[in-house]
Amino acid sequence: MKKLNILLLLLLIIFSLISLFPIYWTIITALKVNSEIFTTVPIFFPVKITLSNFYTPGQTFGAVSQTAFGSFPWLLNSAVIALLSALIGTFLIGAPAAYALTRYLKNVWLGRTVLLMMMIPEAALIIPFYIIIIKVNLINTWWGLTLVYLSFTAPLSTWLLMGFFSDLPRSVEEAASIDGLSAYKIFYKIAMPMIMPGIMVSIILNFINSWNEFLYALVLTYTPFPTGAQTVPLFLSDFIVIEKSFAWGGLAAAGVIVIIPTIIIGIYAQKYLVKGWTMGAVKE
Amino acid sequence: MSEVVIENLTKKFGNNLVLDHINLKIDSREFFVLLGPSGSGKSTLLRLIAGLEDITDGSIYIGGKKVNGVQPKDRDVAMVFQNYALYPHFSVYDNIALPLKVRGFSKDKIAQRVKEISGILHIEELLEKKPRQLSGGQQQRVALARALVRNPSIFLLDEPLSNLDAKLRVEARTFLKSLQKELGVTTIFVTHDQSEAMAMATKIAVLNRGTIKQVADPYELYMKPSDTFTAGFVGSPAMNMVPGKIVKDGNAWKFAAADMALDLKGMKFDSEAEVIMGVRPEHVVISTEGITGIISTVEPLGSVTYLEVKIGGTDIMVQYTGLARIEPNSQVKIGFALDRLLFYDKDTEKLLNK
Repeated sequence: MKKLNILLLLLLIIFSLISLFPIYWTIITALKVNSEIFTTVPIFFPVKITLSNFYTPGQTFGAVSQTAFGSFPWLLNSAVIALLSALIGTFLIGAPAAYALTRYLKNVWLGRTVLLMMMIPEAALIIPFYIIIIKVNLINTWWGLTLVYLSFTAPLSTWLLMGFFSDLPRSVEEAASIDGLSAYKIFYKIAMPMIMPGIMVSIILNFINSWNEFLYALVLTYTPFPTGAQTVPLFLSDFIVIEKSFAWGGLAAAGVIVIIPTIIIGIYAQKYLVKGWTMGAVKE
Repeated sequence: MSEVVIENLTKKFGNNLVLDHINLKIDSREFFVLLGPSGSGKSTLLRLIAGLEDITDGSIYIGGKKVNGVQPKDRDVAMVFQNYALYPHFSVYDNIALPLKVRGFSKDKIAQRVKEISGILHIEELLEKKPRQLSGGQQQRVALARALVRNPSIFLLDEPLSNLDAKLRVEARTFLKSLQKELGVTTIFVTHDQSEAMAMATKIAVLNRGTIKQVADPYELYMKPSDTFTAGFVGSPAMNMVPGKIVKDGNAWKFAAADMALDLKGMKFDSEAEVIMGVRPEHVVISTEGITGIISTVEPLGSVTYLEVKIGGTDIMVQYTGLARIEPNSQVKIGFALDRLLFYDKDTEKLLNK
């Protein structure tokens, strides 16, 4: 028993090291000077620490540069689009749809179709989406990309929240209907607040998925803020060839900035994630 | 004014018949108990009155008005659920105030009513708390307050005491009974606990498998259960049931069973019949003469002692008043209070000696 625990611990440590190493490497690269980045023998513990990969004096906002500071126009687009698609996907589509599916249309297949929608690969939808977005004149805009992102945030929210709603004790909603609330008010004043952990999980997962999305953004946007809606993953991919040089330090610094929001959200949301997942899965 | 009339009410879930042609009249200000085992349809009947389920066939009238298809909120009923169904994200105050807020009462009026009702239910000091911070008994009072705050014409309770521990349950039923009397609100109370029903009701309807077996006040229900189901369900320990025959012997009637024979002095029957004799444990007495049996078990409860007496192959439960040191396996003689004997037809299971 004890031996097994030690073995398990060892495995966990090895696994953590493997998964944390790329993050560590990105962070130290972001802090290295060029002479320590371009070495034949990799330097794992940098001697000289610099912040010049993040910002060099004299840079102006929005200008393309070899530092992470240049990523802000893309970051702004990412933040707006990820927030919009996370919130709309959760509050305007996911939650009402999940509630209706669990309370009124007790149709198992309709619920499963939602799940099916999430299984269609992005690559299969990209051309139809491109044509649609061009036709409605939303190419390279916040709303264009948000609409397309809803194609994966809304089904995930719906599917996730269906589990939460069906686990709620019906009597609370029945009590509300006797107390005089309309069906609509029962939904947003009683049922929604009761699945707050689920709502949080939905927003977080939607935000992270939208924040990290690459393929749709690549095809449907082509300039950064303020002229377009290019998101930060595109900034990263373009970084390497900016001005025909290889700015590894700047790329790593930008990478650090990009993962900061997801890490902050992850830490803050951990209690909701754990509570949320178990609440959705385990019947009390 | 606020009586409830139920006519030929039928409810099906799919092909499953849950309530079969129910007819009931519940008078104004009555404390009416729907009593039955689980699956008898009593909760479904309550939910139909509340409007939480759709009626398959028949009608429900509340205060003289037909309410088939009327929304729960428009029926002027209030309900307390078994799990209390409080709004977990609201404070106690907001829980109680919600029915008034929805109905557009002014802030002052709401505050006054909440104060009033929380005073009656002794929960004034809990108003700022959230439901999860309360004990079961406190939650129950909050649920009662929420239901009563808007003076409903009908008050529905679905096993509200079953989540309380035994001591609290007895306290709560006394409290609830006096509260109902004080407020004078027509109350329909669902329970599977016959002692709860007996203790609280002014009238009881016994349900089994979707049909009403008997509607009576607690006294009549206990003394003259109209069929074997009610006889067996009401009373604890259960009534003794002895199958046998009623036979005529000259001018007198006799009860003859496998292990006993009784002279039924002063009783009259229409004809000889196969019957089941019912007799409550307190109507069997230990005496110096009578039928001989062996005591198989002794249950000393304090105020009474229950003895199980074996007479041949028949077990008879006897209630002995008081606490006595009685050894099992000793021989006793028992007699029956003849005027308390009940005879049920073996086939129809209906009471013969009304």
